[in-house]
Amino acid sequence: MKEYSTPAEAVDAETTVTLTVNGETRQLAIPPNVVLLDALRDRLGLTGTKKGCDHGQCGACTVHVDGQAVNSCLKLAVMCEGHEVTTVEGLASDAGLHPVQQAFLEQDAYQCGFCTPGQMMSATALLEDERIGTDDAAVREAMSGNICRCGAYKNILAAIQSARGQSPSAQQESENP
Amino acid sequence: MRSFAFSSAENIEQAVSAQSDNAGEGAYIAGGTTLIDLVKLDVMRPAQVIDLNGLPLKEVEQLDDGRLRIGALVSNTDLAHHPLVTEHYPLLSQALLSGASTQLRNMATTAGNIMQRTRCPYFRDVAAACNKREPGSGCDALEGVNRMHALLGTSEHCIATHPSDMCVAMAALGATLTLEGPNGSREIAFGDFHRLPMDRPDLEHELEPDELITHITLDTPVVGGGSHYIKLRDRASYEFALASAAAVVAIEDGVIRDARLALGGVATKPWHAVEAEQALTGQPASNESFEEAAEIALAEAVSREHNAFKAPLARQAIVRALKHATQAAMNS
Amino acid sequence: MDTQIIGHRTPRVDGEFKLTGRADYAVDWQAQNMLYGYPVPASIAHGALEKLHLDAARAMPGVVDVFHHGHFPRLYRSPNSPTHQDQVSEVRLPFEDERIHYDGQYIALVVAESFEQARAAAHAVQADYRQESGVIATLLDTDQEGRLLESEGTSRGDPEKAFDEAPVKIDHTYHIAAESHMQMEVHATLAEWRDERLIVHESSQGVVYQHKAMARIFGLPDESVEVVSHYIGSGFGNKLFMWPHAVATAGAAQMLGRPVKTILPRQQDMENGGNRPASRQRLRLAADRDGTLLSMLHDSTTETSFVHSYVDSLGSATPSLYACDNVAISQRLLEVHHGTPCPMRGPGETSGIYALETALDELAAELEMDPLELRRRNYADQDPASELPWSSKHLDDCYTGAAKRFGWERRDPTPGAMRDGDEIIGWGMATASWPGLRMPCAARVELRDDGSVLAACGTQDIGTGTYTIVAQTVAELSGVALKDIEVRLGESTLPAGPLSGGSMVTATALPAVAAALRNAFDALKEVATGEGGAFEGIDPESLEIEGGALKDGQGKRVSFGEILSEQKLGSVNGEGQAASGDEKGQYSFRSFGAHFVEVRWDPGISRLRVARVVSSIDIGRAINPSAARNQVEGSIVMGIGMALTEKLDYDPRDARLINNNYADYIVPCHADMPEIDVELPDNPDYAFNEFGARGVGEIGLTGIAAAIGNAVYHATGKRIRDLPITLEKVMDT
Repeated sequence: MKEYSTPAEAVDAETTVTLTVNGETRQLAIPPNVVLLDALRDRLGLTGTKKGCDHGQCGACTVHVDGQAVNSCLKLAVMCEGHEVTTVEGLASDAGLHPVQQAFLEQDAYQCGFCTPGQMMSATALLEDERIGTDDAAVREAMSGNICRCGAYKNILAAIQSARGQSPSAQQESENP
Repeated sequence: MRSFAFSSAENIEQAVSAQSDNAGEGAYIAGGTTLIDLVKLDVMRPAQVIDLNGLPLKEVEQLDDGRLRIGALVSNTDLAHHPLVTEHYPLLSQALLSGASTQLRNMATTAGNIMQRTRCPYFRDVAAACNKREPGSGCDALEGVNRMHALLGTSEHCIATHPSDMCVAMAALGATLTLEGPNGSREIAFGDFHRLPMDRPDLEHELEPDELITHITLDTPVVGGGSHYIKLRDRASYEFALASAAAVVAIEDGVIRDARLALGGVATKPWHAVEAEQALTGQPASNESFEEAAEIALAEAVSREHNAFKAPLARQAIVRALKHATQAAMNS
Repeated sequence: MDTQIIGHRTPRVDGEFKLTGRADYAVDWQAQNMLYGYPVPASIAHGALEKLHLDAARAMPGVVDVFHHGHFPRLYRSPNSPTHQDQVSEVRLPFEDERIHYDGQYIALVVAESFEQARAAAHAVQADYRQESGVIATLLDTDQEGRLLESEGTSRGDPEKAFDEAPVKIDHTYHIAAESHMQMEVHATLAEWRDERLIVHESSQGVVYQHKAMARIFGLPDESVEVVSHYIGSGFGNKLFMWPHAVATAGAAQMLGRPVKTILPRQQDMENGGNRPASRQRLRLAADRDGTLLSMLHDSTTETSFVHSYVDSLGSATPSLYACDNVAISQRLLEVHHGTPCPMRGPGETSGIYALETALDELAAELEMDPLELRRRNYADQDPASELPWSSKHLDDCYTGAAKRFGWERRDPTPGAMRDGDEIIGWGMATASWPGLRMPCAARVELRDDGSVLAACGTQDIGTGTYTIVAQTVAELSGVALKDIEVRLGESTLPAGPLSGGSMVTATALPAVAAALRNAFDALKEVATGEGGAFEGIDPESLEIEGGALKDGQGKRVSFGEILSEQKLGSVNGEGQAASGDEKGQYSFRSFGAHFVEVRWDPGISRLRVARVVSSIDIGRAINPSAARNQVEGSIVMGIGMALTEKLDYDPRDARLINNNYADYIVPCHADMPEIDVELPDNPDYAFNEFGARGVGEIGLTGIAAAIGNAVYHATGKRIRDLPITLEKVMDT
């Protein structure tokens, strides 16, 4: 492994990337060293996704890529070619807030609100993931990649548990047993 | 994060030749959780980044001989929850789920986890002296803030801890890596893959610059074995280990027939405690045996100013892991 | 006051913005033609910059300029006056000279067309330094005492003599490592010059202060500056006063004639963006055998940097907490080579109360007395420091209520006696306290013809819920529905409001909003009773406000909107001011509470976790109980970090920050959250202000680390006097 190789001629050539963001096809012309987080914020104007640490250590930048929660600060945007990205801006629908958003509102599951988009993206993914247990301890463990320095963990947990069973897909399931 | 060229490999051959063409100056990317982190810190400066995600290495399959073959690109999440893993290798599942966060496990891959790099703060700081990052520059950790550093497998050139949990389970379970290079593929035992720092801490493993890990094949599970992975750390989750232990025991009539033991958080590579395993075999499954094994496992520990507590902590991890593994074996 | 909305749980009025990603934090703003700034940090802590190698960076794609000493506008320092509200976090200007005073200090600012280009070029900057010897990384590494601050000391009685003569005493020294605020949103500035006016978007807890400081630094009249901070990804004190990155960014924007946005990387935020200073405290407590306190001596030393004197007043609560005739506090300050400290949640008293409440636990052990009983024995019925009566104090109820909910009476006093399987249970308690603070404040309210109301104040909502309590106040007094009330905060051009700090916004801003609203009512009544008005000819004084309408004695009701529309008016305005009055000389204002904590210690694996926290915190009236409770619960979580894990690690050899990131500086995560039970007894403090509120941001953090440490002692028999209590300090080796 060589860390100190001098980079060849500064490679700043832009690549075209086509991805789906919140259901819309978007095209980006970007150099390869742009991460998904900065592409969303600086180039697509989707600033709801937040940068807390830029190193996968806080979870504020959590988005879904193909339905899975990931740290968008550690994902190169060029690697999202052809993938589906969902951000906090894609949670609510014409019908109103997503059940998780509604639960966060009702349970006061935030203070400053800066980690909140990431918390909700992890929460929505968790509620759709049958591999993750439903008890409080399992939820707290699964949510531990989302730091809330305001410390609103108690209310976040309450919000997630109260939204359980109300997620759009869960409702669909109960309608079509 | 400096500039780099980017390409996506469509097959293994292309991935290998892309790296050969770059004279090893390129870097493979899979989950990106180590690479992007370190490129942002200017610690790694690849001229080219080669995306591996298009390669067909995402399967987990049981081989005819009972071993489990894992594709290099299987995510940590998928591996942890795979039915063949939860059934036959619960230790691996437990270790995987104790590492990082949900999001990082979704991104990180099996081979990437093996290739992850140390969390030593002096390695991560380009202004500090670090023989691993810049051979010959010295090691600021030796006399520095070294609470998180290693006790086992260290040298006077490097005391950086290997950070993986998954690898600790693999060290205990036994595994074989399949590597693909310009001259075809070869196999290497998991225990031989990571190198001790010695006088070249920059050489971390046996992978050549133009080689690629394609598969990890776990040894057949220990018959009748119970297992446990324990991770001790300052906070309850989302943190690297101060000490961790992976234990597998098979018990017959109260006597240990087979034991596997590996340590994390305290060593420069995933630490297979072979002598402790030997000491356990044939002994009663008792606290005394566990403590004796723990003493043996840490006998060679060399501590520094701030990390001496990790020796007793690792011993505690071993004893507790063996205790739980024994209980699991009894209940199985 | 019988209220409909105030004192009732209210979902945040800004909630939907925060939950949909539409809330505009400083980092979210973009301007036309905007450039990105990326600072270059020094990699030594003590010495001078000899040479910067910039050619490589300047030649990189997208790089517009690199600013540094010798290539930056000549600016003025800010007077840094609390009276004139131009305080800054660091009086030294960026790039002022070539001296390096701490690791991470800015030596250059790269400005480029994209964030990626700015970051890449910043990494390409090389520097030569002249390093100097005699570096002091933190006061924890040195025996140096620091200089005594005479103005910070107070004394009553003869505490030294009383201590010497007392039958029971303790004398211990406590250390707390420097802590980082770790607010989720790093410091960020977008600076834009428009027609000689400087417009700044900053993540700020004090837009008015930054406005004035910027005006002084750039030599501008006040009206030529505007600072905006609508949403803040919290601050916990490190965004009260402006830091050098903002000056660097505004200077760069001025020289380039283009807007520049600088978002600090987390590493630099932790090095340059403030910290709670490390402290050393010696506590001498003496008591009679029945537990009556005879003497309290509290001597503190805190750190500051070599470029700015920040004093964290650790002893300030001590003279007021317990009845004791002989009390003295002193404070020393020691300069060290790391980034400048600043207020952090519950500044001063959080550290001071940690030491005092731990020392009391030690004294209780010495007396073989229940720690709660010792505190009751020395209950202060009036403020022993000022000898004024308390405006409202119900600490005894807090002790009783929380102890009962916790089950304190089942506590076996012998350390290590309470067990559960592999675990030893420890129970500890401590008193919490924070002063009731209130500042002068102005506000403006507009009643509009569509029936809506606008309330505006130049304060901020840092996540405490200020938007919501302002709306609640307007709704309570006007009867207008919350959904029809718009609140504007976080703009320095609005009527001057307070810093979002010290738990003072509630008591400061709401009376001003109420005054403005009442003035707006008067304006509306004038319209209504004037020629052609809905209540023409009626005595304005006889009109009442009800449900967003004016009502006369005959039961005639006309809505605010109709009154204005009928007269073809768009709106009426009310400006209002409020400040504390004579009550300041009549009462002492302070909040009190109690924390009870259960820790679990598993000696077999050296695992220490906080399992349960039960608290009763009396803050007067909670305007919005859900947000207020959230503040205390969050403080408890932060207190767990303070007690067990949080520590800025400076390498003693060169004072460089080792754990400058979210992975190595350990704050509590979801899995660390204990069972939390917080009660906020409702005891409105009307002597303090008309709404009876004393504020809630800080108090929950005070006492919590002591209660945890006391519980650790109860579990293990080990008294750890150095925070954080990491496992190696407790484990059996």
